[in-house]
Amino acid sequence: MIELDQVTKIYKGEVLALYSVSCKITKGEFIFLVGPSGSGKSTFLKLLNRQETADQGAVWIAGKEVGALPRSSVPKLRRLVGCIFQDFKLLPNRTVYENVAFALEVTGRSRQQVRTQVPSLLELVGLSKKTHSFPHELSGGEQQRVSIARAFVNRPPILLADEPTGNLDGDTSNGIMRLLAEINKRGTTVVMATHDQNIVNAARRRVLRLDRGRLTADEAKGRYS
Amino acid sequence: MALSLGYVFRETRGNLRWNVTLFAATIVAVWVSLTLFGSSLLIREGVEQATGRWRGGIEFIVFMNADATEAQHAAIRGALDENPEIGGYDFVDQQGAYNEFITEFADRPELIENVTPEILPPSYRVKPTVDDADVIEALAAQFDTRPGVRQVTLPVEVIRTLQQNSQKVSVFVLIIAIVVLLAALMLIANTIRTAIFARRQDIEVMKLVGASNWYVRLPFMVEGTIQGVIGGALAIPMLFLMNNLMAGFVQDDYLELLRSLVVDSAVVWNTSLLVTGIGAAVGVVGSLFAVGRFLDV
Repeated sequence: MIELDQVTKIYKGEVLALYSVSCKITKGEFIFLVGPSGSGKSTFLKLLNRQETADQGAVWIAGKEVGALPRSSVPKLRRLVGCIFQDFKLLPNRTVYENVAFALEVTGRSRQQVRTQVPSLLELVGLSKKTHSFPHELSGGEQQRVSIARAFVNRPPILLADEPTGNLDGDTSNGIMRLLAEINKRGTTVVMATHDQNIVNAARRRVLRLDRGRLTADEAKGRYS
Repeated sequence: MALSLGYVFRETRGNLRWNVTLFAATIVAVWVSLTLFGSSLLIREGVEQATGRWRGGIEFIVFMNADATEAQHAAIRGALDENPEIGGYDFVDQQGAYNEFITEFADRPELIENVTPEILPPSYRVKPTVDDADVIEALAAQFDTRPGVRQVTLPVEVIRTLQQNSQKVSVFVLIIAIVVLLAALMLIANTIRTAIFARRQDIEVMKLVGASNWYVRLPFMVEGTIQGVIGGALAIPMLFLMNNLMAGFVQDDYLELLRSLVVDSAVVWNTSLLVTGIGAAVGVVGSLFAVGRFLDV
């Protein structure tokens, strides 16, 4: 499903973000990407949805080399790879419903499809009663649920989560993790960057550890300490 | 994947609703800029029209001898008819010349007393189709030596002065119009860029959820077009106002120059359409470029 083959990424100013990282992630896995700030977790995720491209090596998703895709094919890739972010990145002028619907509309779905799919997604993330609220009227946890609904509404086979619990308290984080586990159970591969030890240790999933751009550990049912 | 009209309409409406201030700012920028540009065009048109009117009035006069034979007249008429550079001519006979003399010197009866139609030369008032001083001079010279011709007169110095000055004024006003247009384009493009810069995060999110570049661009382009058209349309009454203000100076002899710059309302309409078209084009292209900077996500 996802393969990194000796991937190196160096940002301008000679900042080494990733160095010769290789790994394979199979369909339906739940992966924790751990490491301290600046270890390359976000860069790893950005390479998967073509926000960045590798300087050396190759990233493969569903048999296609991501870095070699023409620009016109990037939107299609991003419909296969849903994203959630630490700062939610919701559109502030749109309601919960509109934020989720937007992700469907830009892929050319009919209004009928939007009308049926958005409510079911909002029910999945527990926000059926907040349909007409605006992001600023929601708690952090609720905003992250909207973000998850938006990322998952196209039913992408891959979901990337960049520190999704970074701004949330313990209980709220657990709620988000349950939601991600539920999505994973439905067959979506989840790659989640985090440095929250409690979450990683409680889940006992595969853990990829990055340290200053290098992949230093790859453990099934790993721990993070 | 086909772009849905409903999507474009809703997005554009949303953009307008959420960014009323910047939307209005762009319209004002387009309005003011295009009013200035349109005014420059109208002034140029007025100058062209005024000098054209003066130029069109230039003619040379072939004075015949008072005793020229009918054959000599026929030869002159034949030559005038054949020459493609001559648009037409009027024949003023001796009685006609006398009538003109009386009108001209109405306040000097002592002159009129001493003149009779028989001593005045008949003449051909010739209107050339060209307005180049050198050509008219050469044309006039062709008639100077013909039998029966007493003299050919032409206001060549007047033509030359007029030609040089009208060209200078026309080029000068055109340069001003171009400079104003460039300033207008930069002002409009900058305002649109500011408006879109404020929404760069929206664009980033759109791209990250899989929107193609055209899905992001199109609502912005429609918005830019609406702004351009509204700004251009608002400039139309300003152009009419300016033209009418100049027309209002008709009563004032001291501002005769301005009076001559008043143009026909059809010209104002044409300029208005041009200005509105430019407004729409600038709106579309400005938005296209401004959005383009943030599409690389």
